[in-house]
Amino acid sequence: MSNPTDVVVVGAGPAGLAAAATLGRHGARVTVVDEQQRPGGQIYRQPPTGHTRTGRRTEAGRALLAEAAAAPHLDWLPDTVAWGVFGTRAGLDDYAGPAPAPGRLRLGVHTPDGGRTLEPAALVLTAGAYDLPVPFPGWTLPGVLTAGGVQTFLKAQGLLPGRRFVLAGGHPLLLVVAAQLVAAGAHVVEVAFSQHLRTLLPGPRDLAAAVGNAAKLAEGAAALRHLRRARVPVRFGTVIRAAHGDPELDGVVLSRVDAAGLPVPGTERTVACDVLALGYGFVPSTELARQAGCAVAWRPAEGGWIVDHDDWMRTSVPGISVAGELTGVAGAEQAEVEGRLAAYGTLQTLGLLDADRAAALARPVRRILARRRRFAAAVLSRFAPDPAALNALVTDDTVLCRCEEVTAGDIRRALCDHPHLGTANAVKLLTRAGMGLCQGRSCQPAVCRLIAEQTGRSPEQIGAFTAQPPVKPVPLASLAAAARQHDDQG
Amino acid sequence: MAHYDTAVIGGGLLGCAIAWHLARAGTRVLIVEKDQVNRHASGQNAGSLHFQLEFRMVEHGDDAARLAARALPLHLDAQRTWAGLEAALGAPCGVALRGGLMLAETPAEVAALDRKAALEREYGLDVQVLGGPQLRELAPYLADTVRAAGHLPGEGKANPRLVTPAFAHAALRHGAELRTGHRVTALHRDGGRWRLSTGDGRSDTADTVVLAAGVWTAELAAMADVRLPVFPVGLTMSATARTAPLLPHLIQHVGRRLSMKQTAEGNVLLGGGWPAKLVTRHGRTDLDRNPELRYESLTGNADAARVVPAVMRLPIIRSWSGMTTLTPDQLPLLGPVPRRPGLHVATGGSAFTLGPTYARLLASTLLGDRPDLPLDDYSPARFGALNFV
Amino acid sequence: MSDTATPARPTRTGLHRPDPTTIMVDGEPVTAHPGESLATALLAAGRRTTGETTSGAGKAPYCNMGVCFECVVTVDGQPFQRSCLIRVRPGLIVQTGPAR
Repeated sequence: MSNPTDVVVVGAGPAGLAAAATLGRHGARVTVVDEQQRPGGQIYRQPPTGHTRTGRRTEAGRALLAEAAAAPHLDWLPDTVAWGVFGTRAGLDDYAGPAPAPGRLRLGVHTPDGGRTLEPAALVLTAGAYDLPVPFPGWTLPGVLTAGGVQTFLKAQGLLPGRRFVLAGGHPLLLVVAAQLVAAGAHVVEVAFSQHLRTLLPGPRDLAAAVGNAAKLAEGAAALRHLRRARVPVRFGTVIRAAHGDPELDGVVLSRVDAAGLPVPGTERTVACDVLALGYGFVPSTELARQAGCAVAWRPAEGGWIVDHDDWMRTSVPGISVAGELTGVAGAEQAEVEGRLAAYGTLQTLGLLDADRAAALARPVRRILARRRRFAAAVLSRFAPDPAALNALVTDDTVLCRCEEVTAGDIRRALCDHPHLGTANAVKLLTRAGMGLCQGRSCQPAVCRLIAEQTGRSPEQIGAFTAQPPVKPVPLASLAAAARQHDDQG
Repeated sequence: MAHYDTAVIGGGLLGCAIAWHLARAGTRVLIVEKDQVNRHASGQNAGSLHFQLEFRMVEHGDDAARLAARALPLHLDAQRTWAGLEAALGAPCGVALRGGLMLAETPAEVAALDRKAALEREYGLDVQVLGGPQLRELAPYLADTVRAAGHLPGEGKANPRLVTPAFAHAALRHGAELRTGHRVTALHRDGGRWRLSTGDGRSDTADTVVLAAGVWTAELAAMADVRLPVFPVGLTMSATARTAPLLPHLIQHVGRRLSMKQTAEGNVLLGGGWPAKLVTRHGRTDLDRNPELRYESLTGNADAARVVPAVMRLPIIRSWSGMTTLTPDQLPLLGPVPRRPGLHVATGGSAFTLGPTYARLLASTLLGDRPDLPLDDYSPARFGALNFV
Repeated sequence: MSDTATPARPTRTGLHRPDPTTIMVDGEPVTAHPGESLATALLAAGRRTTGETTSGAGKAPYCNMGVCFECVVTVDGQPFQRSCLIRVRPGLIVQTGPAR
């Protein structure tokens, strides 16, 4: 199959847009694959086609979106799932069907028109991150959403998904979302922040790291001021314990936590609400990179498993680079910078940029990146949730795997009955946790924390669920049609 | 260091099942597994209980089919064994024997089906070739392209997630010892016993050793200076999202690689012999890495599923690769290894479907009983020419 | 606590939208705006529950970004479609309830 694409960029958030625009500007033919209709990713999500904002508001990421829209040699595949990378481990031959040309990767995609393959010389994976799912009794009730989900309803869809909101968790995004909800006229009943305020106040080292990153800190501080002014209670050292309602959410139980982050008995109180937004931070979307065979590392402060890379964002698999949250959760600005760096690295691989010129172009980018990384290490890492505190929210009856309805008790019992088991994959096979439609995205962190607590094994020993193709569900008919396509050509 | 009556190498279905039989009989048994129990072929296969001959056994002509048919006495036994397994183990294994259909879509395939059924009936397997209204009534979900099907009422499925852990659990209950995460690095005779060493420097002895290590059998045998001809093959399996019951039977195809069944939870599992590529490193097969999934196998397997049109709208939610162990004649490799007193092997053939039967027969040999089926056709002795001592 | 008596009806805000159209949800007409997500349309129509687990518990949008698959519905006969990613277009036929 002749294919005019040099590089496929998977993801159209800040990292993907920056990579694609930079690649296109330097003469690479680029295809951008994204699951959404319009570029921007979660952070720069634009309203649907035909919708416009009522207020005069500057769209976040406008400059980057404009840069990508104007860049030459860019082909967009929206509404498309990139579901598998083939030929990266063993190197495939053509005995079983047409093999990719030498030096090319094969990427399976599912578009609105069906299944096909792309065969680029390089891939830049920028799949971003998603809200860390944090199980507790009642978290599966309709009305319980992630903070990111509530924000997307509000900012991209213009929907207040309820009337009375409680926000709970441990990530600064909570404050930002709460302020946005208040500005949109919602009743925010309470913001419950799991950390104690004193642990969040910046120290001298953090302030040094914040140089050049003031905007980010200011955003959180401004949100807090708005909430105070609107008399929204923001309570620190307070956690969600349970969500109630039948059949849908009508209230939550909050309680105080001690210095170790563990709930203090007797401090429980019930708060009525119809939406609970949870914000505990983010998990990098490493599935496609892991499925392709890219080496990963365990970095709890950066979101869990992240993809290993070199100075040019190249992974352990030749031809595959990464940028953005899957190298460690650090926000849009860092993602954008990493996207440019990944582009410069890929351009060298393609022979479109010589080493000296690439180094020169990368220099200012690297300076910004160093600053961002200092900030991320010093400030963002203090919001990383504590595994023991998260485990304390889980009761035996708490569902961990929503798709297959596997409870924490089911997993504890399985580990007791089979004491020789202790990996994420083994527990998945035994209990079905992670075997559902979401492919383990919603339960993996909690399942692995529970295995660690129960067996004393390290996260590295426990591992992650193996990332299997298709990394997002793809209709059987789409795969079958792809088989006939190849037959026709063969 | 400890001494055992039997050391079983391999914590898969065969190893755990053999250990269960031996521990139940009051002998001292150790299972050594280099990874986790049920980590490899036993837990990765799609759980078919296919007592008819498989496509891979009939695709190479009548002579090859006739040779493969020598395992049919085991098929007959396995059908009975699976039916009583959950009661015997006191644990759910997801056994459901609601019948299997092997499909034919072309006149040539129908003819192949007839020849296969005649061969199977010679061995007493009650396979009927159905067509027309009779087939539509039994399986209204089949595509119009299906002309006939070999029907065997006792075929079905078991749940590979549950079977091996259930055997392991039962074996432990009867006093077997299980050591996971330990790889055997040396195996040799020492003072009339077998000595096996594991990577951590530990060393134990046993009167008898059973190699139940699937694709790793050859390298373990080599430690005992024996060549056993077993070959790894990479395979592809896929699962759809859960859906309402639509497929009560095990589906296979006489002219294509296909197995299809619906689990108790509602997922439709696809497999049937689509290849995955073994990973090579430094020019040698690396058995410690999962075979690489092929795009062509995923899409080809999906295409083969068209014989049940209702599944085509379902999403595939995961595919995985695994390895199975083949012998040159596709028959099991089961029994004592010649000139290696006390060394036994169990692998090859349809080792999931026939696993409980292999285990029972080999255990009775080890316990000094006479197996109730002749095992000569499966003996490692048939490959004796590969060994000079 | 008079507030708690307020019906929990999500409201649209902040966007100029195309003229509404009609989609069919479980056999009933629902008004929605072309281009908005089906999840938005369902919530705005007062349907807080969009699916059912195997054990019969209600399911609804959770991540709202295509990751959790909690909000899947059947759209024009195609099951397991994420309502947060599906865009409203005139005449869409949607079935909520247990995934089949």
